[in-house]
Amino acid sequence: MFEIEVNGVQHKVDAVSDDMPLLWVLRDRLGLTGTKYGCGGGFCGACTVHMDGAPIRSCLYPAAAVEGHAITTIEGLSEHGDHPLQRAWVAEDVPQCGYCQSGQLMTAAAFLSSDQPVNDDTITAAMAGNICRCGTYRRITNAIKRAADELQEPF
Amino acid sequence: MRHRNADTVDPSRRRFLKQSGALATAGLTVGFYLPQAVAAGTAGAVDTGEMTDRFEPNAWVRVLPDNSIKIVVAKYDSGTGTHTALPACVCEELDADPTQVEVAFPEEPFLEAYKHAWWGVWSTGGSTSIRLNYEPMRRAGAAARAMLVSAAAKQWGVAPQSCSTSNRRVTHAASGRSVSYGDVADAAAQLPVPEKVELKEPSEFRYIGKIPRKRKAFEKSTGRFPYGIDVTLPGMQVAVIQRTPVINDRVQAVDASAALQVPGVRDVVVVPGRPDIMGGNQEGVAVLADDFWSAQQGRAALQVRWRNDSPLAGFDSDQLPAEQAAWLYNNNAMLVPTMTQGNADAQWAQAETVVEADYPGYYKAQNPLEPINITAQVKDGGITFWGGMQVPSWALEAAQKIVGVSKEKTTLNNRVAGGSFGARENKYWLLEVAYLAKVTGKPIKLMNSREDEMRGLFYHSPTFHRVKGALDAQGNMTAFKLRAVSPRSPEQWEPGYAQRPDHMDYSTTEALRAEGFAYRADNMDIGWVPHETGVPTGWYRAVSFIPNVFAVESFIGEMAHAAQRDPLAFRLAYMQDRPRHAAVLRAAAKRAGWRQTQPADTALGIATDQGYGTYIAVIAHVVKTTQGVAVKHLTCVVDCGLAVSQRGVEEQLYGGLMWGMGHTLYDKLDIKNGEVVQSNFNNYLVPRMSDMPTVEIEIIEGDRANPTGIGELSNPLVPPAVANAIFRLTGERHRSIPLALDRV
Repeated sequence: MFEIEVNGVQHKVDAVSDDMPLLWVLRDRLGLTGTKYGCGGGFCGACTVHMDGAPIRSCLYPAAAVEGHAITTIEGLSEHGDHPLQRAWVAEDVPQCGYCQSGQLMTAAAFLSSDQPVNDDTITAAMAGNICRCGTYRRITNAIKRAADELQEPF
Repeated sequence: MRHRNADTVDPSRRRFLKQSGALATAGLTVGFYLPQAVAAGTAGAVDTGEMTDRFEPNAWVRVLPDNSIKIVVAKYDSGTGTHTALPACVCEELDADPTQVEVAFPEEPFLEAYKHAWWGVWSTGGSTSIRLNYEPMRRAGAAARAMLVSAAAKQWGVAPQSCSTSNRRVTHAASGRSVSYGDVADAAAQLPVPEKVELKEPSEFRYIGKIPRKRKAFEKSTGRFPYGIDVTLPGMQVAVIQRTPVINDRVQAVDASAALQVPGVRDVVVVPGRPDIMGGNQEGVAVLADDFWSAQQGRAALQVRWRNDSPLAGFDSDQLPAEQAAWLYNNNAMLVPTMTQGNADAQWAQAETVVEADYPGYYKAQNPLEPINITAQVKDGGITFWGGMQVPSWALEAAQKIVGVSKEKTTLNNRVAGGSFGARENKYWLLEVAYLAKVTGKPIKLMNSREDEMRGLFYHSPTFHRVKGALDAQGNMTAFKLRAVSPRSPEQWEPGYAQRPDHMDYSTTEALRAEGFAYRADNMDIGWVPHETGVPTGWYRAVSFIPNVFAVESFIGEMAHAAQRDPLAFRLAYMQDRPRHAAVLRAAAKRAGWRQTQPADTALGIATDQGYGTYIAVIAHVVKTTQGVAVKHLTCVVDCGLAVSQRGVEEQLYGGLMWGMGHTLYDKLDIKNGEVVQSNFNNYLVPRMSDMPTVEIEIIEGDRANPTGIGELSNPLVPPAVANAIFRLTGERHRSIPLALDRV
């Protein structure tokens, strides 16, 4: 048994082997199905979540190893689905099938909070680990720029 | 994903009806019944002269007393936008904001009426959803509107013609009266359905062409949208199947003892292969567990001995081009002519120049990002499915053939899936889950791992094209001959298709038949030579357009070079009576700067095609780099008649161009000794953001009465446009996909 903190809530997880990846604990034990399975090998990025704010591939990360760290999933990215990136995703009409988008958003959110400059090159470098089979890459780029612009506006 | 040349549906066979029976509730419900088309010789199953309860609509609109509107769409939306664009067609004529209506899959019962007008099965594909439903959906909306107006006009004692409608309200301007649709819905339901309705002129459209975004963008941006993989039921077990590694091998013996020791594993079941069913599953061993991870651990502990008697045990896909080339000269080979004119073979002797080239094509995997999964439960003499079912007919077939359950006792809970691209038009997984649900009696969620998905067969077909052309002394093309060697498409799975007397397979000969082949020479001899490999092949985005257009457009480039003509001018010279097609080519050339002098490290290459009724041209801008060449920019121009959603068309074309970059850079699946070599995205690469060039898309609306197909248009054009550009840049001609740009 171990304890993990997901979206600010402590969960006790038992009856799983220590090597069960975080992805399957999130999906099959905690019912947090917004995080998706795409490849199981860290190649596609569909399972991306944040550990202490940094993006990790939850399909590779043993759940037991995140004890003591704060995990954020797409369900916890914002309280009402209104993170600037989520609003930009809707405004730019990014999702097609939508299956990769939780991972895309979590990667993009970590990128935007990394204080890197936001331009085509840095966006591509940050997002190249996330596969989209429908081909939403251009709209993802546009949406990240839209959210970055909004975040830079003075309050 | 299928293609069939067929006449449009005879308008006299379309009827409106008011909903009756199971679906009738309060408010007004207008349905539209579109019987099977007659093009393939299959007459509509019902006589449209009799309107009885057995008529059920396959598209319908319901206006409820609370002024809410529900539209049922029988088409599957795996991200392609059908659930956005088709309701917009209804709403346009109904005068209701399409973003404010509810969209639903058809409810029970499952009816003959949902069968695809061309294929005789209930399916979505072939870039036909808008093309075949644009007018019927509009007519359904117009009929409902006419009834609502009549009801309001009757209440007010005014002429219906003096009333107008806007955003779910009927207004009589002269008297200043206005009423919501909901308030007259019940009264409208008492009126007869109009025999004829007036449709708007395209210039009057408020919504068509102006749709701001697709449905469900918020849910898909917050992790809340439910996919098949998210289905969970009380008592459900998750199944993974270790399918035979060598294609068509069978199970000799299973030692499940270690697997059953794995925590969470509940059962191990041999799933019989069904080679007797067209599109049937391979043999395998299923591990059933409490969750996917435990099932995967159980599978790793499984000891399976295979018979090792598959005839495909020595199969090597890299040997196929030689085998297919040799098949051209085999006495058992059959030629299915697709276009014949004059006598091409009589021209070679007297030609000034004869050009010959071979274009091999290999297997490709679809790789939707959500691996195939499906949940089923057999209970109380029936079966229920949950998940993404693009071809509901295959679920009905699985229920019938595996469980012995009729369609009346089959319930489908359809969910949008994380992509298809052809993968979800297969049926092997429906057969497997039906078997597991039958033998266990439990709710079973069958899940493919990524490795299962990539090794799940039913790939894009391997092909071999041999093309030959003749030029006279003036550089005029006097003869064009092409032989395409490839397996028959899965269209043969459809009822009656394999019995066609002409042996034609429309899905294998796309772009090679007279109506789609753009060029005309005095002597033409184009044909398909069926060649089966024994490896199951399946549907794929754009199907045979990919190899056929690659061969034709590469070869036309080779002919233009041999004739010392500009590739664009050469193409236009051999197009006859194709003004919209020529306009698309010219627009692309203008936008890409075709006639401008390019720097020494840069070249443009062009390719064009007509498919699914749409004309398209792509120009690739290729530059030399320190590692070979790179695609820097793509210009894409289409004429799709009318764009029901401009942004929807644009994103489908962009997605297709991305797929085309995948073909250009990566798509090749290998089979060695009967086993699939690749397994995941580390050894079968797919395009990432970093692989994309800049892209420019122009949409021409050349016939606003007839929107045409768009989902499978652009990917086939990218490889030949890039190959043609590479040739102009380097003099190297690349004749097979992928093009290996780093080795130019």
